[in-house]
Amino acid sequence: MDKDILVEYFPLYKDALFLTLKIGWQGIILAFVIGLIGSAIIHFKTPVLRKIVGIYIELFRNTPLLVQLFFIYFALPKVGIQITAKTCGVLGLGLLGGAYMIETFRSGLEAVPVIQTESALSLGMSDFQTLWYVILPQAISISVPGILANVIFLLKETSVFSTISLMDLMFTAKDLIGMYAKTIECLFLLVVFYLVMLLPISIIGAIVERRMRYGQFGD
Amino acid sequence: MKKNLVKTLTSGLLVTGLLAASLTGCGSSDKADSSADGSAVEAGESAAGFRTLDEIKESGTINIGVFSDKSPFGYVDENGEYAGYDVYLAEKIGEDLGVDINYVSTEAANRIEYLQTGKVDIILANFTVTEERAQEVDFALPYMNVALGVVSPDGAVIESLDDLGADDEVIVISGTTAETYLAKNYPDIKLQKYDAYAEAKTAFENGNGVAWANDNTEVIAFAIENEGYTVGIPSLGDQDTIAPAVTKGNETLLTWLNDELVSLGSENFFHADYEATLLDTYGADYEDELVVEPSK
Repeated sequence: MDKDILVEYFPLYKDALFLTLKIGWQGIILAFVIGLIGSAIIHFKTPVLRKIVGIYIELFRNTPLLVQLFFIYFALPKVGIQITAKTCGVLGLGLLGGAYMIETFRSGLEAVPVIQTESALSLGMSDFQTLWYVILPQAISISVPGILANVIFLLKETSVFSTISLMDLMFTAKDLIGMYAKTIECLFLLVVFYLVMLLPISIIGAIVERRMRYGQFGD
Repeated sequence: MKKNLVKTLTSGLLVTGLLAASLTGCGSSDKADSSADGSAVEAGESAAGFRTLDEIKESGTINIGVFSDKSPFGYVDENGEYAGYDVYLAEKIGEDLGVDINYVSTEAANRIEYLQTGKVDIILANFTVTEERAQEVDFALPYMNVALGVVSPDGAVIESLDDLGADDEVIVISGTTAETYLAKNYPDIKLQKYDAYAEAKTAFENGNGVAWANDNTEVIAFAIENEGYTVGIPSLGDQDTIAPAVTKGNETLLTWLNDELVSLGSENFFHADYEATLLDTYGADYEDELVVEPSK
C-alpha cells in the first residue's frame, strides 16, 4: 500500500463523507417526521389516511432504494418534475426510512400497556394529551434500539447514491479506481471512512439506549 | 457502561487493524506477482490471476468483457444477443481460437479490475489506450481511432469549453478518458458523474447537465440518433486509439491476439466490421477516420 496515495486521496474521501452525512441526516430527519405522523395515524386508526399510510409502507418497504432513486431522479423529469440530485437523495432516503420508522414507532406504541391510555383518559386528558404526555415518551424509549438500527441502515444505504451522480463514499472509491486503478488504497480508505462514520453512532447509540431505559415505567 | 464502551472501541479498532493487515498483504503479493511475471509466465499464472492461452483452449471457453449498453459498439440487441463493433471482433476471436465465448458485461470503471482479478481474459469494451492504463494492463494492437467530443442541446450549443458558465455541469461517465482528461486539464469545470452509459444518457436527456463529454464516436452517434442535439466540439484533446486488453503479464494470450489482429488487418476485417455494425449509425463518411487495420 502506498502512503502517498492515501494522503493524496484523503481530502476527496473527506468531502464524500461530509456529503454522505449531510444528505444522510436530512433524510433521517425527514424519515423521523414521517414516522411520527404515520404511526400516530395508525395509532388513532384514522379512517382513509390509515389505508394510505398502509399502502405507502408496503410500497417503500418492498422496493429497493436504488429503484426508488431511479424513479425519482430519472422518471419524474419525463413528466416535468425536475429534482436536483441532492434533493432526490434526501427524498429517497426519507421516504424509505419513513416506512421503516412508522413500523418501529408503531411497535413502540403497541408495547405501552393499554391501562396507561385508559388511566390517562379517565383522568380527563384529551386523545392528543394522552399520546403526547403519557404514551409517546414511553413508546420512543422502547423504540430507541429500532430507531438506531434504522439510522445506521439508512446511512449504509447511501452507498447506492452513485446512480444519481452524488459523489458519496462508495462512488468516490469506484471513480478513483476507474481513473487511476489504485484499488487497494481506495478500498482501504473506503472501509476506514465507513467505520469512522458508523462506529461512533453505534457507540453513542449504546449509551443513549441505556439512558433512555429510565424513561420506561410500570414494569 | 464504561467497560462496554471500551469493549466496543477495542473491537472496532481490531477489525480496522485486521482489514488493514489483510489489504496490505494483498498489496505486497500483487507486487511480487507482477515483478515475477516475465520469468514465470508458464509456472505461476494462476497465482497472478490470469489464464494462459493453453489454459483457455483447454477449458473450451474464453471470457470476454464487453459493454452491454453502448450501442453500436457493444450492446444487447432486441433478441437478447450481444452485438456491435467490439462484439463482431470478439466473435471472430472465439471462432479462430476454437472456443465458446462467455460474454461478461462490464462498466467503464471496472474494466481494469475485471482483468486484474481474472474475471475476464480479454477486455473488448471500447478501451482507449492511455499511459496510466498501460501500467495496469497490457494492450494489444489498436483497431479503432477515437478522440473526445462534447454534445449539447440545439438551443444552447457548447462550441468551446470556455463557453461554460461557473455553475454549468458537464456530464461524464466515471472511469472514461473524458473524465480523466477534463479532471486533469480543466479542473474548474464541474463534472456530474454517472457510473453507466444508460444513466448518463437519461440524465442528459432530462437536462441535468449543459453538455455531455465522452468519446466522440459515442456523442456523434447520440446526436445522429436523437433529434435536437448537436456535437459542438467534435474533437477534443489528443487523437487516441482503442485496443483489446489482457491482464498484465499474460504474454501467451497477448502474442496470439497480436498475431490474430495483424492477420485480420491484412484481410481488411475491420472495414467489414464497420460496414456490418457501424455503417447504419455513422454512414460511410467516418469509415476511414475511425477504422484502423492493425499491422506490425
